[in-house]
Amino acid sequence: MALTGRAGLLALIGVFVVGLLLPSWQGILVLFGLLVLCVAVDLLLAAGVRQLTFSRAGATSVRTGEPCVVQLTVHNPGRRLRGVLRDAWAPSAGVVADRVAVDVPAGGSRVLSFELRPIRRGDRAADRVTVRSHGPLGIAARQGSHVVPWTVRALPPFHSRRHLPPLLERLRELDGRRASLIRGAGTEFDSLRAYVIGDDVRSIDWRASARSADVVVRTWRPERDRQVTIVLDTARTSAGRVDGALGGLPRLDTAMDAALLLSALASQARDQVDFLAFSHQVRASVPRATLPVLVRAMAPLEAELVEFDARGAVAEVLRRAGRRSLVVLLTSLEPSIEHGLLPLLPALATRHHLLIASVSDPAVHAMAAGRGDLEAVYSAAAAERTLAERRRLTALLARHGVDVVDALPDDLPRALADRYLSLKAAGKL
Amino acid sequence: MTAVSPDAGRIWTAARGPLLIGVIILFAAVVITLLRGSGEGGALDPRSFRPEGSHAVADLLEQNGVRVELTDNASAVDGATLFVTQPNLIDPERLADLSRRAAATVLLAPAPGLDRVEPGTRQPGCPLADRAGAATLGGFTYEGDQSCYDSTLVRTGTVTTIGYGGIFTNRDVDEEGNAALALSLLGQHERLVWYVPSAADRSQQKSLTGLIPDGWKYGALQLGIAAVLIALWRARRLGRVVPEPLPVVVRAAETVEGRARLYRRSHAASHAASVLRQATRDRLAPLLGVPPGDDPSEEIARRTSRPVTSVRALLYDKEPVDDRGLVALAASLDALENEVRKA
Repeated sequence: MALTGRAGLLALIGVFVVGLLLPSWQGILVLFGLLVLCVAVDLLLAAGVRQLTFSRAGATSVRTGEPCVVQLTVHNPGRRLRGVLRDAWAPSAGVVADRVAVDVPAGGSRVLSFELRPIRRGDRAADRVTVRSHGPLGIAARQGSHVVPWTVRALPPFHSRRHLPPLLERLRELDGRRASLIRGAGTEFDSLRAYVIGDDVRSIDWRASARSADVVVRTWRPERDRQVTIVLDTARTSAGRVDGALGGLPRLDTAMDAALLLSALASQARDQVDFLAFSHQVRASVPRATLPVLVRAMAPLEAELVEFDARGAVAEVLRRAGRRSLVVLLTSLEPSIEHGLLPLLPALATRHHLLIASVSDPAVHAMAAGRGDLEAVYSAAAAERTLAERRRLTALLARHGVDVVDALPDDLPRALADRYLSLKAAGKL
Repeated sequence: MTAVSPDAGRIWTAARGPLLIGVIILFAAVVITLLRGSGEGGALDPRSFRPEGSHAVADLLEQNGVRVELTDNASAVDGATLFVTQPNLIDPERLADLSRRAAATVLLAPAPGLDRVEPGTRQPGCPLADRAGAATLGGFTYEGDQSCYDSTLVRTGTVTTIGYGGIFTNRDVDEEGNAALALSLLGQHERLVWYVPSAADRSQQKSLTGLIPDGWKYGALQLGIAAVLIALWRARRLGRVVPEPLPVVVRAAETVEGRARLYRRSHAASHAASVLRQATRDRLAPLLGVPPGDDPSEEIARRTSRPVTSVRALLYDKEPVDDRGLVALAASLDALENEVRKA
């Protein structure tokens, strides 16, 4: 049950009735009785809320920040329903207007559309549908809630997809499918064919030419069908918020963006992408990932306040990747790597090539450049200390044959993709 | 781009209306206060020298050995003469109580009178005022045990009622036998309580609720009911509050900032200096083509024409530094780095 503003208004008018006409206890009682009677009549005549039935349809996933529509169908088996309906969602689901006036005829149905614009990545579940059914006098209303489950998955925004066209262009140059000034030569033997004027004489295969009547050249192509294993660290260091062009985002979101760009590029280059999200246990695992599947798998991942279990992650990678692959570990260059990951590197490096990508913090670089007063200089010293630590770790990892990409959040996706292409060009996959 | 913060002109435009209203109110208050005059200028006030004041009478009484006490809230009246200039402002019960306790009471024109008569010179016609003779009296007539001046002055027991206050004013006190009459009325005892009731006196007698009509009491009750109903209307929520599952997010640079504060609190200037020196060496080594970890001083000296010893002292000095020295060191390291980059 719920009262409306009219009940209060009637009681306010009653102030003058009591004050001027019936200044007594009886007057108050009479007015109160009248009001109670009106409320009772209204409640009796209002359409029931309990027997309403609901169903939903519409979007189940949407890219974060973009609009989608979820429909709610109300079926009313009882008498005519007039009132207000609220479809409650968590605030980050970004429902544009969650309250609507409803008027459902007896035995009829209405379809209500709610526009959602999720502001954060992840699964956004609908809470309850609450209906307030007004009586004919509009003084009181029946109210009740129904659970009508629905989930909209807000997908990672993938801002770095704008980098994809130039990267694909580079990939095509590498492939030799596109005329360019650079010799389009891969590293993997493709086939033999007859020499035509203009071919590089260095690519003549003399042994094959000797067996045939024509001069034969070898053709090459970039390696393909290689395996790329992306390991996303979702442990405590990924919770750190780093300021970039898109505002403060956790390292995890930037790492996801980079992983998405890399997997989009790798699948275009016909490499096979395996995805693994790991903190102290496997959080998500997508073998043979395609971009849509990957995006859906990433959406609900959040950082956890636990230590990254490097031993477990390496064991998982070794178990899954049967053949030699490029293992891309998206984590943060912190001193904990030294006693966590470093002792395990020999086991990993014998079978795979490891590439570590880390989001560096522009705030630390800004602090390192601070001068002027004592506070700024102490901050600069602290920041330099952190940067020196990262340089030392990078050098240490390089000595173990690990590639390191340490870039600002805005540059990391592009830098990682560039490194992948240069590894591919060098035939190191 | 448009600035949204207000400038002086806009503030003035917005504020001149209220300012004008404030000035008008202030001006009106000053004018009204000036026109109404000061509190000491009241009629029948023993301190007032105005024509309608009573300083002359009070002065005469003092000369005749009567102590005059001016009050606006009489209480200690026992054994004294009580003179009430405006008895209509006092609750009748309280007035009766006061006059019972006072040795003599003079009431000036209490309501209701019997008849209204013009003030003028009248003859006493009673033993009470024979010594005074003719006096300026009038106003209202009253009924009493002794009646003088055509019933404009009557006495019942110790209470004297007088219909017109002319005989006490500065203007008329020297007419006829006014002064003698005033002295005989007010100078009956050693002490005279000159009671000028204020308007506040009346409300002290009755409580606030007693003054409110009954209808509004019940109206207020009904208003309370209305307030409760409106509160119920506003309090009822359309469905429960939906909590937001918030992820863990920490500012990544917080540990670095914490370390900076620790450095500062412990005045670790020497440690900070060695970190800054190391950072400069690390940045310069690749620029100069020196292997990391090697001493770049000689190469720097060769390029910048600085003496090797001073460069080495800047980059490697082990002397402890204080806080001020640290700021200076940071600046000179920057200068050196810029010089190398330009060279």
